[in-house]
Amino acid sequence: MIWRRRRALADLDEDIRDHLARETEENIARGMSREEADATARRAFGSVARTKEDARAVWVPIWADQLLQDARYALRLVRRSPGFASLVVATLALGIGLTTAVFSVVNAVLLRPLAYRDGSRLNWIVTYDDRVAPIKSIEVVSAPDFLAFHDHASTLDRVVAFYIGMERVTAKDGVVATRVATVSSDFWDLAGATPELGRLPSTNEDAIVLSHAFFESAFNGDATLVGRMVTVNDRQALLAGVLPRTFRPQLPAPAAVSQLPPGEVEAYHATMIRPPSPTDFGVQLFYVIARTRPGVTVAQVRSELETLRADVQRAYPKLASAPRLRVTPFADVLVGHAQRPLLILFGCVLLVLTIACVNIASLQLARASARRKEVAVRAAIGAGRGRVLRQFVVENLLLASAGGIVGLLVARAAVSSMVQLLPYAIPRLTETTIDARVLTFASIASVVTALACGIAPAAALWRMNVQDALKDGTRTTTAPPRALRARRVLVTVELALASVLVVAAMLLVKSLWRITAYPAGFDPEHVLTLKVQMSGQAYRTPERKRAYLDEVLRQAGAVPGVLATGLSSDADARIRLIRQDGPPMSILDRPIVRLNVTSGGYAAAIGMRIVEGRWMTDDEPSAVYVINEALARRYFPGENPMGRRLLLPNGPDPARAIPVPIVGIVADLRTADLESAVEPQLFLDYRHGNPFAMTVNVRTAADPLHVAPTVRAKLAAIDPTQALFQVKRLDAALIDSIAPRRMTLTLLAVFAGSALLLGVIGIYGVMAYSVSQRTQEIGVRMALGATRQAVLMMIMAQGIRLTAAGVAVGAVSAAGTSRVLSSLLYDIQPTDGASFAVACVGVAATAIAACSLPAIAASLVDPVVALRCE
Amino acid sequence: MSSEERLELLQGTLDLLVLQSLRRGPAHGHTIMQAIERRSGSVLHVEQGSLYPALHRLIKRGWITFEHGTSENNRRAKYYELTAKGLKQLAVETSNWEKLASAIARVLRPA
Repeated sequence: MIWRRRRALADLDEDIRDHLARETEENIARGMSREEADATARRAFGSVARTKEDARAVWVPIWADQLLQDARYALRLVRRSPGFASLVVATLALGIGLTTAVFSVVNAVLLRPLAYRDGSRLNWIVTYDDRVAPIKSIEVVSAPDFLAFHDHASTLDRVVAFYIGMERVTAKDGVVATRVATVSSDFWDLAGATPELGRLPSTNEDAIVLSHAFFESAFNGDATLVGRMVTVNDRQALLAGVLPRTFRPQLPAPAAVSQLPPGEVEAYHATMIRPPSPTDFGVQLFYVIARTRPGVTVAQVRSELETLRADVQRAYPKLASAPRLRVTPFADVLVGHAQRPLLILFGCVLLVLTIACVNIASLQLARASARRKEVAVRAAIGAGRGRVLRQFVVENLLLASAGGIVGLLVARAAVSSMVQLLPYAIPRLTETTIDARVLTFASIASVVTALACGIAPAAALWRMNVQDALKDGTRTTTAPPRALRARRVLVTVELALASVLVVAAMLLVKSLWRITAYPAGFDPEHVLTLKVQMSGQAYRTPERKRAYLDEVLRQAGAVPGVLATGLSSDADARIRLIRQDGPPMSILDRPIVRLNVTSGGYAAAIGMRIVEGRWMTDDEPSAVYVINEALARRYFPGENPMGRRLLLPNGPDPARAIPVPIVGIVADLRTADLESAVEPQLFLDYRHGNPFAMTVNVRTAADPLHVAPTVRAKLAAIDPTQALFQVKRLDAALIDSIAPRRMTLTLLAVFAGSALLLGVIGIYGVMAYSVSQRTQEIGVRMALGATRQAVLMMIMAQGIRLTAAGVAVGAVSAAGTSRVLSSLLYDIQPTDGASFAVACVGVAATAIAACSLPAIAASLVDPVVALRCE
Repeated sequence: MSSEERLELLQGTLDLLVLQSLRRGPAHGHTIMQAIERRSGSVLHVEQGSLYPALHRLIKRGWITFEHGTSENNRRAKYYELTAKGLKQLAVETSNWEKLASAIARVLRPA
């Protein structure tokens, strides 16, 4: 078919030439002159072009042919006005690029199914205590409960227990602090793990499996090591295998799970979970993911697990387990908290796209009035309105596809810089890619944008009267006032939308300021923190740990440039608050407070303010407590907590608990997570606490990173088998704790900036256009005696009116909608006056500055030239 | 014959006439046109511009085919040729046309 068409059409020209030649010859034979014969033959044949077109139409549907024509015509137009085309393409690329970038994150985080087989059947199971304030990190499952679920639950087909912690793995260059996920036997099947080297651990085997990246970095990718023993926390474990690079199970953001900063799991340690003996005081705690059997409801799971727990409670009566059970879809646990900010960002970026559309529509309107004559001519020679309209649609589609393609590049760059800057700001963010769905989205966005941008100019042309346009004579660029009015409305809309985004950005900026407004004395930029974890046989006794810590303090304190050194456990450790003088009540009804084990230098190192009493020393003869104001306020309302005694548990027997006096009160300080409210906190001197890991806080005179290598080397020399990790400045650690907020803020700031830029281009375009339209009028005014200043003021007034309208509408809309931001704000109201004022003044000032250029141009009009230009 | 006495072809009949004129052997466009005019006693006027689209239509339907040849005066030209399918179609169309013509004639005959 195709080749027949090609052959048939190929020599149509020749065929017609032959036809004409024959006709001419016959005419000559009838006695005409050659010229006459030729002319007569041509006349008899009619339009050659028309014939060719008709013959072509037999093969190619007319619409396809015309589409091609329209596209060629559009390309010619683009080549004729490259400035306009590039402005449109750049605007579209910005709008579509940002929108696609955000969509690709939404796609990766919220839309794509989990990486697990049957991810929709996965549930997160926790037990919790509803009598105390919810603390996500201590919502766990005890070993006996896990075993009951795993062995007996008929509604579940896989139950996995895990926890993530730092462990010491002896690699080729010594001990490395390694992020290890300790997992129970069902994990491999649930996560669909297939090793690229070696094998998976069998049940009851003490073995580790490494991630591809860790195997490369810590073991040089040496395949001969697979199947050999490696040292993990001073114990030998089999290096069973290596997982492929593609194996990336989604485990909840560790920040919510433990005190670890987020990061990729480097090794998986198979663990065998045994029931505790009934006399044990302690019990292992895990996070639990369970896969339900197909067709089982969450309610069925819950009721079965409740029954199983009742049996566990009977078997272990001493186990103080959390009374409540919660079963949550795993996807919600993983990304639930990211949903709202992401949707807000998506909404905001759609506003940017809308502004881009409006901007282009306004540009097109300006051009549509310049093109009236061209359109009129086309209509006059027979193009129907539909055809003219289609031409515009094709033009817009062409520009939109160019914008879409550049936009995709913008999106790719935006996504990769987001992932690089703040990889753990949103769970699953690192999975973001431009996949088929993102491409589809970008295409749809481009087409919709193209059509949306074309509506206003098309409508303007639709209403156009061909005769009037043709009669217009030389005044080819005069816009009907209607189009200019339409453009003013569009610019007002643009500025309003930009104001909304700038207000939103300001609110977030102010929240960030509030969060990072550190109290006097607290100076995280001059504090170096690093973690030590005393693990292994050598540190089984508290005495050995203390000896190690004493040496740490001595060595770190001796480094030149160090002003103060202090220890803090900073773990998510919590303790029941039991007043010695309080009324008797069940242990389970006692409040839970945070326990921080600290040293004498800690308050000075971190810059803590003592409100009352004193801080602890390094050699208290007996245990002492310092409390923070939050604890004093909450649990000692209206009384003086100084000197009161709280019971510190000492083994399983409550009767042996030690009464510990409160010797001081310190001001509230957020030293780990900037966003959460300060919890009631107890500080216990480290000589009487027994923490397993410590943060060393070193206050320095200069930039702490300068002394970091020395401190690190000195501390490593104390015991080379112990790993030092997370060596960073405290301000960096704090900033990491608000990564999600920074991500949202950065994106919103980019959106607001883009919106403002587009809005400014928009208002500049309209003002410049309106001035060019009024050149003559301005000339007349000047000829009649208007001063340059008066002209300047006249144009400025027009710009200010437009700006004021846009900003006012924007401010009102922002006030109406800013409530959706509430969850992203910190310590300010969504209608915060100062933020609104700064944002509105900022937008207005920028817009008015943009208007001043055309206004100055207007005031410089030479009346003589202006009057002559007709 | 003056142009007033010439008749425009009825819609759709050009295809039939082209097929018929190719029955006697391959011909090029100009010849086909002349054959139709001559055989109609110059009553029918073939719009030259519509001849070529008609030829293409017939090629597309597979009723005629074409090949390149050299004409008497040594010009390269396309010769159109009836296919077997075209021959069959000609019979169908001819009988259709005859039925139509006699029916119209019956209607127009004064009662």
